[in-house]
Amino acid sequence: MFDRRSKVPHVLFALHSALATLCVVGPGYKWWGASARPFVFGLPFSLAWAVGWLISVFVSLLLYERWTRHCEEAERGE
Amino acid sequence: MASEAELVLGMSTDAWVVSGVSLLYLLGCLWVGMRGGKDASDSAVGYVAGDRAMGPLLMYFVIGATVFSAFSFLATPGLAYTSGAAVFYVIGYGLVGFIPFYFLGPRAARIGREAGYITQAEMVAGECGHRAMAGTMALVSALSFVPYLALQIKGAGLVVERLTEGHVPQWLGGAVCYAVVLAYVLKSGVMGVGWTNVFQGVLMMGLAWAFGLWLPYKLYGGVGPMFERIDEVRPELLSAPGTKSWQWFISAGVISMIGFGCWPHLFMKAFSARDDRTLRRTVVFYPTFMVFLVPIFLIGFAGVLFPTPPPSPEQVLPHMLMSLDLPAVIVGLFCAGALAAGMSTGDAIVHASASILVRDGWITALGRKLTSTQERRWVRVFVVVLMLVSYVLAVFYEGDLVSLLLYAYGPIAQFLPGMLIALCARRRDGVAVHIAMLVGVAACVTLKAMPEWSPWGLHEGIVGLGLNVAVLGVLYAARRGSVLSARS
Repeated sequence: MFDRRSKVPHVLFALHSALATLCVVGPGYKWWGASARPFVFGLPFSLAWAVGWLISVFVSLLLYERWTRHCEEAERGE
Repeated sequence: MASEAELVLGMSTDAWVVSGVSLLYLLGCLWVGMRGGKDASDSAVGYVAGDRAMGPLLMYFVIGATVFSAFSFLATPGLAYTSGAAVFYVIGYGLVGFIPFYFLGPRAARIGREAGYITQAEMVAGECGHRAMAGTMALVSALSFVPYLALQIKGAGLVVERLTEGHVPQWLGGAVCYAVVLAYVLKSGVMGVGWTNVFQGVLMMGLAWAFGLWLPYKLYGGVGPMFERIDEVRPELLSAPGTKSWQWFISAGVISMIGFGCWPHLFMKAFSARDDRTLRRTVVFYPTFMVFLVPIFLIGFAGVLFPTPPPSPEQVLPHMLMSLDLPAVIVGLFCAGALAAGMSTGDAIVHASASILVRDGWITALGRKLTSTQERRWVRVFVVVLMLVSYVLAVFYEGDLVSLLLYAYGPIAQFLPGMLIALCARRRDGVAVHIAMLVGVAACVTLKAMPEWSPWGLHEGIVGLGLNVAVLGVLYAARRGSVLSARS
């Protein structure tokens, strides 16, 4: 999807990680994730918020690692 | 002593079954741990860094099981029970605190392979060209590790005492469990730690999910109904930050996030990995280990409306299990799971702290020459000494488990600027990094003793880190013309 010289994946990953930090450790939790309602799959929203970010960070790491590996393999192939 | 011996001999059948299941688990650990190091070389690199040959499976469990400790199994449900949603900060810091390792880990591993480093302090001091810093880092690590290890020993003793209805006292339970740890760490080094962590990780994850889903079902008819009931009776527990303040929530999260990435026993695993890809994949899959916190939270919330209160918040899970008239085998399995959580962290800590004291304190900072065999022997001597000191602290310490852990994070977080400079900066002023680190650690220790001096009630580690960075900036500016070390 991205050229291996592209900076976009790095920027997207950095932005996502910064946003995750803001939302689970920083004041983002207070602003957007603190309330108990609505319940999501039986969990209070405040817990679902943290679990949601956990899944989101996992997917972002997975995609970023895949892209890093793709770049390394392309470099080795040259 | 005589009366305690009589208590042990006068145990009920249930207490015998619980003890029997726990002993089976301990024997399993011993067997796995003793065999774990059979392929490692006899050198110090083999004992401390597993010959830099750990594969992805081993790394995943070493990191995951090391992170999840007696704190996770006992204090986390205890915090959920007393303070509700305040406990969610644990997911936050664990999740983002490990991301920097994706970049720093492979870089540290490459430098380690080139320069022969096998510990974090050795790398920071070596890259900054200032050997004395390794001594400071070794001392700070050891002083932070001792309460952390004591926490694991105390947790093990508490669980055994509670689940055997007080027949096996805390001091004896902790001593037996950590005698097993001592045996396999002495025999097999980091590979023994690694393979037992696989065994312990699988056991504690399985049991956490089993109890985390079963307890809400048994007590309330499911997870959803449990939270609905809590929302009716104690709604303040379900909104973040629970019964704590936002200041506490963010402050504890930030310092834990920073300290988490700096822990020497985790960081030095970068030197044990087979290759960069193994390290990166460990970080990628680490959140799957974090999911294990969800059932742990559920256990704590299940205790909120439980008819009888536990003797202390940390005992909420053992208290519920003991009150529900469960088969003794189930209680014994829980006991094994809780012991696994504590021991999987305790073994890594004692191994790392002994390695650090010898490698960084003795060899790097003091410049003593040791052969590989001598180094390995002295690491083993320090394993025994540190274990004994931690055991004494665990038996006599009366405070709660969480404050003990949060104390340890502060001084460790002061390593961050040095680590970043060693790995990423082109200009490395070892003297400046060392002075700033000392200021940060001194601030932590002072504010721990005088908490009323801390501005806005911030965690002492954050204040220390702020001072650390400020002093570093001033010294870097003032010493612009001095000799600086740089890796090409």
